[in-house]
Amino acid sequence: MVVEHTSPTGAASPWSVSMRDVTVRYASGVVALKNVSLDIRPGEMVSVVGLSGSGKSSLIRTINGLVPITSGSLRVGGYHLESARAGELRRLRGEIGMIFQGFNLAKRTSVLNNVLVGRLAHTTTLRTLLGAYRASDREIAFEALDRVGILSKVWDRASSLSGGQQQRVAIARALCQEPRLVLADEPVASLDPPTAHEVMDDLRRINQDLGITVITNLHLIDLARSYGTRIIGLRAGEVVFDGPVESASDSVFAKIYG
Amino acid sequence: MSARGATVARTIATLDIPPRPRWQWKSWCAVGLVVIITAITLSPRWGVDFSLEAIARNWQNGAEKILQLLVPDWSFFPRTVPALLETLQMAVIATAVAAVVSLPLSLATARLTNPNGYSRSLVRALLNVIRSIPDLLYAAILVAMVGVGALPGIIALVLFNVGIIVKMVSESIEANDPGALEAGRAAGGNQVQINRASALPDIMPSFINQTLYVLELNVRASSVLGLVGAGGLGLLIDAVRTFYRYDQLSLIILEILIIVMALDVLSNAVRRRLV
Repeated sequence: MVVEHTSPTGAASPWSVSMRDVTVRYASGVVALKNVSLDIRPGEMVSVVGLSGSGKSSLIRTINGLVPITSGSLRVGGYHLESARAGELRRLRGEIGMIFQGFNLAKRTSVLNNVLVGRLAHTTTLRTLLGAYRASDREIAFEALDRVGILSKVWDRASSLSGGQQQRVAIARALCQEPRLVLADEPVASLDPPTAHEVMDDLRRINQDLGITVITNLHLIDLARSYGTRIIGLRAGEVVFDGPVESASDSVFAKIYG
Repeated sequence: MSARGATVARTIATLDIPPRPRWQWKSWCAVGLVVIITAITLSPRWGVDFSLEAIARNWQNGAEKILQLLVPDWSFFPRTVPALLETLQMAVIATAVAAVVSLPLSLATARLTNPNGYSRSLVRALLNVIRSIPDLLYAAILVAMVGVGALPGIIALVLFNVGIIVKMVSESIEANDPGALEAGRAAGGNQVQINRASALPDIMPSFINQTLYVLELNVRASSVLGLVGAGGLGLLIDAVRTFYRYDQLSLIILEILIIVMALDVLSNAVRRRLV
């Protein structure tokens, strides 16, 4: 199923996302996404905006298969998610970094161990059980931490870091995957404004310097306008706006937020 | 003040306060039920058969024994040492084996670390059976199977401990934040990898806590297990009790007390380093 391969320099070609009439209905009967069709090109930086409950989280989680789609078709990289088996899903996820609102670190272990979680898809179960990660994997982890400027904290316990530092560790964990696509679900909603901008700057650098496709959920209009080139507006599970940042006027936002 | 009071009164009159939920009758029912059950257990006809006058009749027998207990027979000490060491060995070996067995079972019992419903129910059912059999019964059966000595005691303790550790640790897994596990899944790990890399660090303190607690339980339990022939201080307790040597019994109790207190100090020290 995989069509592309990592180049010898380690820089992988970024992935595109293609959704056709994707509907997500949860077991509770709630319809989170209604006939969503989208095309995200390789290397784009997209902001997804909308109220809480508009389906942003579900949209981003369909892309790495954390939320299964009920109908429609979804193509990410070379994978068809509507028919992907468990092993394929794990390989797909191995190529997609994800950043969360609550950082989602294992708080009682070191920063390094948290970043190495990004290597799980490329590590055997036995090596993981023994905690015997390959030296090359550790090197990738150190480089990822250096890229987000937090290498000095590598041996610290995750819980001893501030919120902004924890989110940086989470970004390093995503980078450690050498991803072709990065998903960020409300990455700055738990951070104060200056820290929020620093983290958004990190995400922009990932997109611009490494050329990785980045899809970010945001609920703040200002952030969506300052970072990213394209805005997708969701309302009640439907796409109500999709266009470049420049054309996202106040009236457009009024429509998205109702 | 009066003007302000009037304002408050007016505001409350105009506020649209939703009706208070009518749940009080449920708590009255619960209280009533407790009273009725207590009354039944105390009633002479259906309840537990006991009377306080028995204490008045027999207290003098008890008092003699208590007096004997208050004067330990220190010269008995050398004879308790081998049994004491055996009890400690049994407790330590059983705790170590139980800890190794319990960790994967705990992960298999919690929903967060084992999303597969069938295997989870299976492991849970097995552990419910293990937990429902009392340790003394395990010891009695095992003594019949493998003979008198430390081995049946150790096996009984392991079974008893696994039930406790798995129950407590799997509950603490469920209470943990699932975020780290979601991150592991999003990074493409399989369930075993996720459990090791993302879940294990956060449950380690609870696991070590339960293991230390079980070690203390084992020192106390192994003295009871000896009553059915499963080794340790219990065998000695049984022997001195048969000869009404309460002065020697009190020395043994004192030794158990000191060990339990020492373990308490030790486990507190370990715990403080963990948190």
